Amino acid sequence: MTATNQYDAIVVGSGVSGGWAAKELTEKGLRVLMLDRGVMVEHGADYSYDGKPAYEIPARNIMPEPLIESDYFIATHGYVSPASQKFYNNDRLNPYAYDEGEKFYWIRPGAVGGKSLIWGRWSFRWSPEDFEANKRENVGIDWPIRYDDLAPWYSYVEKYAGVSGSRENLPQLPDSEFQPPMPMNIAEKWLKERLEATSPGRKLIHARLSNMTEDKPDQGRSRCQFRNQCGRGCSFGAYFSTQAVTLPAARATGRLTLRADAVVSNLEYDPKARRVTGVRVVDAKTGVAEIIPARLVFLCASAMASTQILMNSRIPGTGKSHFDTSGTLGRYVMDHIFRVGISGEIPGMTDYIEYGRRPGAVYIPRFRNVGGEEGVGFRRGYGYQGSAYRNPAWPQGFGAAMKHGMRRYDSWKFGMGAFGECLPYEDNRVSLHPDKVDRFGVPLMRFDVTFRENELKMMSDARTEGEKMLRAAGLINVQSERKEHVPGDAIHEMGGARMGADPRESVLNKWSQAHDASNLFVTDGAQMASISCVNPSLTFMALTARAADHAVKQLQAGAI
Amino acid sequence: MIDRRDALAGIVTMFGAALFAPIARAASGKIPVIDTGPPSSAVFTAGQRALVTALSERVIPTTDTPGAIAAEVPAFIEKLLADWAMPEDKAPILAGLDAIEARSRRDYKVAAAEATPEQQDALLTLAMNGALPGGADFFDKFRQLVITGYYTSEIGITQEREYLPVPGEYDGAFPYSNVNKVYSS
Repeated sequence: MTATNQYDAIVVGSGVSGGWAAKELTEKGLRVLMLDRGVMVEHGADYSYDGKPAYEIPARNIMPEPLIESDYFIATHGYVSPASQKFYNNDRLNPYAYDEGEKFYWIRPGAVGGKSLIWGRWSFRWSPEDFEANKRENVGIDWPIRYDDLAPWYSYVEKYAGVSGSRENLPQLPDSEFQPPMPMNIAEKWLKERLEATSPGRKLIHARLSNMTEDKPDQGRSRCQFRNQCGRGCSFGAYFSTQAVTLPAARATGRLTLRADAVVSNLEYDPKARRVTGVRVVDAKTGVAEIIPARLVFLCASAMASTQILMNSRIPGTGKSHFDTSGTLGRYVMDHIFRVGISGEIPGMTDYIEYGRRPGAVYIPRFRNVGGEEGVGFRRGYGYQGSAYRNPAWPQGFGAAMKHGMRRYDSWKFGMGAFGECLPYEDNRVSLHPDKVDRFGVPLMRFDVTFRENELKMMSDARTEGEKMLRAAGLINVQSERKEHVPGDAIHEMGGARMGADPRESVLNKWSQAHDASNLFVTDGAQMASISCVNPSLTFMALTARAADHAVKQLQAGAI
Repeated sequence: MIDRRDALAGIVTMFGAALFAPIARAASGKIPVIDTGPPSSAVFTAGQRALVTALSERVIPTTDTPGAIAAEVPAFIEKLLADWAMPEDKAPILAGLDAIEARSRRDYKVAAAEATPEQQDALLTLAMNGALPGGADFFDKFRQLVITGYYTSEIGITQEREYLPVPGEYDGAFPYSNVNKVYSS
């Protein structure tokens, strides 16, 4: 066997998208090499702190300040802890140009499984409106697909991954193939009734989560055990991760090769054939680089990393990417805007408490501009993620009175945070630094991404409306806060290689396939032409499965 | 298929290309492991250590469950200040200990660690009320250190509170009367 036919396909990245690509392509008969820049993490065996109490975790699971300052100064915005440290990027070893351009938090994983190990697991279908608004409002570029193109693929991935939630029949939030929802607690049920009565047209519904409420014995996975320690890795396989779900499936075919510590710097390209010929990989441990050929490449390195790899695949002697014929590569970068929080006390029900720790609670779906512009001063909308809970009391002072005072629980509280849609702007862009490179020789990413008037007005509205709704529902001491909106902070960064019908205006076509290379598919967040206001990972899964199906059909037809 | 030209583009050889501090530091860098051994340097004098021990027990005393000393809170505080906190975080603690020490010697003619529990409580109260130099700042931070150390210790998690490693179920209307102890997270 020669090197040239060792693999039929290379998948770059092993997160939500990469894992699905590997699963689908291997199951369809392809020999696949999956590469990840991070360290190897095996399901279960490498979840070092799964189930452990704080005293069995280094530094009591409180990230030491000097370590944050030296090595995790970006990751600290993404919930890194001693128990999850190895799943995160080391910001010192693998930097971007964070001290140039506009402030952006590029929060990255550092292990096989990518962000699937450490994600928030909120899983929503995007709506018909989400795929149509660009065209109707003449914003950005029209999506080359519609909801109906994706609906069967949503069903396909949901059934396998396991998504819990409730059927609501909301046009702005289509239902998934649900397992039963995580229960609401007594205070949330109370709030749901009051909020929906006092704020007509608005809903408070169960969280939709890739945390299972039913076992999947065929996959060796158990339902959620209500530990709420997901970010350390879950040996029960109760939440969707590459390790628990897609990697075992891909491995079971016998056609997967997985390489950790494999940094992809760029794609090799044949301009005459208009094909990707291979992937250039640097071994993170030895620094040795090699080019691995492949007939088919799935780029799933994450929205920004895939964009970086595309931008760094340059026509010799120029600064221009092979994949930037349209001039749109690196542009229209978006992230959900958030850091608006509203909270208050829920009176009564103090005879009840929560037993067990849920990994997610309730959601207030978007209500602004649903089904058309409402004249509220901004386009699109936002939703809120929240929960009701009782914390232990926190008395002042010291001594036995304080200690024993902490043995009871405070009243019920409810808190929620808004996530808003960011519009695509041409000059919200990322670029390669002209002269600074990382330790693998890859030019550093520079971010020039800011939130604009539409997003900021939206968050003002989210704060005002959130307060109004909670007060009207009967909460007391309602308070709100608004913190700095730093793009990237929501870890929902998307765009950079958007899909579109016209090769002059987009990097990818409606199959997530590069206009400039028919054997290259980019199926992570880079392809998004807009970002909805709901969490994106489920849509990455559906788009990846759909693209893999198309790619294999084209391969079999000899078209690529 | 190793590209020999590319093989030179390895970790070390690229550093001539740019001068960017994090990259230079990354040259010899490995992913750091959190140090869980003894404090890398002594934060406290013997006298200060004795005082930290005594005061931590006054903040969370032994009652029907063990207190801060049994939970090894003093060692946690010294370790945290030595290796897990920023260097400047030591100053308000040390200043507060010294202020308490001075006040004890003035009022009670003994080292604060040797004072009676009632006298130590009086000294802590002075600090809490800002009646000692740097007292209020010391009290807030020291109290937070003791609480954190205690409720993340084995005693705090399993004796003072109750830890459910695998709850298995979620009940959102669990009768409070069935709760024996606050649940650790």
